[in-house]
Amino acid sequence: MTVIRILWRHRALIAVLVRRDLDARYRASVLGFFWSLINPLLLLAVYAVVFTYIFSPRFPGGDPYPLFLFSGLLPWLFFSGAVLDGSATLIDNGPLLAKVMCPPELFPAVTVLSHLIHHLLALPILFLAMVASSVAGLHSFPWTFPLVVVALVPWLLTTGGAVLAISVLSVHYRDMRDLVGHLLNLLFFSSPIIYSLEGLQVPVMLHRVLILNPLASLVMVYRDAVFAGRVSPPQLWLTAFAVGGVSWWLGTWIFAAYRETVVEAV
Amino acid sequence: MKGSIRFSNVRKVFRWRGPHSPHETLKGAFFHRGARRWKSSREQYVALDSIDLEVTTGEAVALIGPNGSGKSTLLKLIGGILKPTSGKVEVAGRVTALIEVGAGFHPEITGRENVVINGMLLGLGRREIEDRMQEIVEFAEIGPFIDQPVKIYSSGMYVRLGFAVAVAADPDILLIDEVLAVGDEAFTRRCLDRLARMRQRGVTMVLVSHDLDLVTSFADRALYLDRGRVVTEGRADAVVARYRSDAAGDSGRDQQPLSAREGDDKTRWGNGDVEIDGVDLLVGEKESRIVAGGSPCTLRIRYSVHKPTEDFVFGVAWHRSDGTQVSGHNTDLAGFEPLRLATDGEVCCEYESLQLAPGEYLVDVAIHARNGLAYDYWCDALKMRVTSEVEWPGVWSPPQRWRSTGPEWGKSTEHRRATPTNNDE
Repeated sequence: MTVIRILWRHRALIAVLVRRDLDARYRASVLGFFWSLINPLLLLAVYAVVFTYIFSPRFPGGDPYPLFLFSGLLPWLFFSGAVLDGSATLIDNGPLLAKVMCPPELFPAVTVLSHLIHHLLALPILFLAMVASSVAGLHSFPWTFPLVVVALVPWLLTTGGAVLAISVLSVHYRDMRDLVGHLLNLLFFSSPIIYSLEGLQVPVMLHRVLILNPLASLVMVYRDAVFAGRVSPPQLWLTAFAVGGVSWWLGTWIFAAYRETVVEAV
Repeated sequence: MKGSIRFSNVRKVFRWRGPHSPHETLKGAFFHRGARRWKSSREQYVALDSIDLEVTTGEAVALIGPNGSGKSTLLKLIGGILKPTSGKVEVAGRVTALIEVGAGFHPEITGRENVVINGMLLGLGRREIEDRMQEIVEFAEIGPFIDQPVKIYSSGMYVRLGFAVAVAADPDILLIDEVLAVGDEAFTRRCLDRLARMRQRGVTMVLVSHDLDLVTSFADRALYLDRGRVVTEGRADAVVARYRSDAAGDSGRDQQPLSAREGDDKTRWGNGDVEIDGVDLLVGEKESRIVAGGSPCTLRIRYSVHKPTEDFVFGVAWHRSDGTQVSGHNTDLAGFEPLRLATDGEVCCEYESLQLAPGEYLVDVAIHARNGLAYDYWCDALKMRVTSEVEWPGVWSPPQRWRSTGPEWGKSTEHRRATPTNNDE
């Protein structure tokens, strides 16, 4: 809880730092914000082509596939982007930490929040895509879309915890960053982002492993709201929030353990 | 008390993190678990040990010592940037550190936005920063560049802006780490002037510098550190002298008689009936060797009487280090009739505003009879430094204002406050 208190006390500074993050990213190019959408859209296009024309996935409720994919990819990009940046955030701000007394919690928080804002800026595009496809009759409009706000809470907690832990660990262990890249790859393919767990034709063992993936519940809860148009069963919600809570708790615990030596190590 | 610092038995140990440390990588941490135990004693580096320090509000303390003696670590402990391994560090009030000024600037965003962020990191509110923005821009002399991304700044502009924000943060305690070594001469001079003014306002200062002349003129007290321990502590000039002799002793002992040369023969004479014990410059109730041009100050002459007399004059003569006479005045010219001088005491000469151009000044002090017979005539009894934002030729720096009716003037964006103002802050 101390993390929350520290962050709240410095909320004005965090707001300014988040703005700086976004400004610096967008200002460097004329197209600004649109560049940040190129990456997800490109990824979306590639996966859509590959899985529509090369492999054809057959699972119930997966049509139209590009929309299905987009609704899974979007929160994943929030998570993976924040975690990847999080592994560098304290190192990049090292000169600042060594010069001014400021709580190191600020920087992972700023990373998470600025990625959250990216995500929120991309949400209208997902919304418009849903509207367009339902007008065209490809898909019935998901009226549960506003539930995305609730679905984002476990995402935020999980991402926050992961970024807190990884930011301090990568200060103390410099090869953490490479490891994070590999882990993210593994996590991506083991999460039901490009496929669905429902009606999946895989060996039972693998299915169990996939179910155990902590991110699975988060992806499903999110996708149910913005794509499938249904409210997820309570146990799924519960799992998602439990994952978020445990991740946050673990993240703050690891952060606290390494906090005092951050300045010396950067 | 705001602005005070207290260290009790502080020790700071760093774990060695060289490129050969096995704990630099996760791989290393996993595969060198066994090695960790027996190597641990060698991996430690004691940066500071059993440090006791007490700095009261408004004091200026210098930390001197060879490289690696722990000066910067001590500064970072005061700043709260590092935590002590053991012992207690108590610091009251807002601390601003002038360490690598501008280090936190983000290259892609404008100077103005960077100022806001830096200011907030230093503990200012958003409003406070916006109120001081004009002052900051003026002091940094970067004009329209303030709205350009910092990446296009010259290194000088970078440092100037960093310094300007840091001093605008209005700290109770200011930590200065060799920052005066960067920047061009004109800027260094203005920094020094600003620091002198802050000091006169009662800001506590802790300074790390290898410029020993600066240390003696700026600091009341000095701490001489070597290998993490305090060698000696006391009046700045005494500690600096000790450090100088140690440093000279290290490089060659034949240069030793240097300090002995400060003999009294040529620079001090008199029959000794009355003796000058000391001469102090007081700036705002405090002893100092540095004063911002245009500020009030007082010369205090402390004396003791060995043989009572009824004929006596106290006098001072100011001159510059190149020998240029600046001013001379004494109690006789001021109309004081001597009656009797029998007990030890002090005589003060107060200056409402020291209207001197920046530079180094020396003061001769004398107590003599009206016919000129010297009881004690002490040349160069006091050496002090006057600062100003701009370099002035000459010695006189009166407050002045230009008026005109004929010519048309453009307003300079690089607005220089030429007049040493009394109401600076």
